Amino acid sequence: MTLAQRGRWTTITALVLLAGIYVRALRFTPVELHQGPAQKIFYLHVPSAWSAMLSMGLVGLASILFLLLKDARYDRFAAASAEVGTVFCCVMLTTGPLWARPIWGTWWTWDARLTLTLMLFFLFIGYQVLRGAVTDPGLRPRYSAVVGICGLILLPFIHLSVYLFRTLHPMPIVLKPSAPSLPGSMLVTLLLSFGVFTLLYVGFVMQRYALGEGAGDA
Amino acid sequence: MPETVSQNGGYMVAAYIITAVILVVYTIVLARRTRNKHY
Repeated sequence: MTLAQRGRWTTITALVLLAGIYVRALRFTPVELHQGPAQKIFYLHVPSAWSAMLSMGLVGLASILFLLLKDARYDRFAAASAEVGTVFCCVMLTTGPLWARPIWGTWWTWDARLTLTLMLFFLFIGYQVLRGAVTDPGLRPRYSAVVGICGLILLPFIHLSVYLFRTLHPMPIVLKPSAPSLPGSMLVTLLLSFGVFTLLYVGFVMQRYALGEGAGDA
Repeated sequence: MPETVSQNGGYMVAAYIITAVILVVYTIVLARRTRNKHY
């Protein structure tokens, strides 16, 4: 079985599991009393944010490894991860405002967390525009690696922005030093969703990486 | 008197539909690109 086929089956498995997450989140996870049903957007928004940040983190690490080792496989992986990260960033940036509107009363606010997240999206886009614009196969991986490393540097600022600045965005409730502050059933749904979104990331990247193989990438 | 839950389910439905559409469309795009590469 080729990498592309394995990636396709991984993606299909993840999509089936995602359907299971939908059923669990919508049918079997309790409605939060203060926020109402809109709070259930949380089970998609937070894992998609995780996958977007995982994507950029791995783009940055692969970029560093490419610059150190000059191995084209790292560059190809970074390109694949960046494209997949853009997709998860789209999910994050559409579900976020849909959650914000009923809870905050506004679709968007220019606070630190949201603005830095938008910067992450622009970095994903910029990374791909750069790859398309630089035709020299020797320069393209090096230039794009620099953008990838910028994205990696941005990630801790995004995570810590809710501590460093006054923001409407809630504090982390799982990735924090103390225990997660969620009721058990909600936490289980969230963790399962994290797992499914990570599996989706793996499936997408396998397929996208296979596309770059032998094609000189793009 | 029991607290009433906010009636904002429309936003939730929209978010779930949009997420599914984005992920399924990207899956199809990847499958088509893979097929075009091989044939």
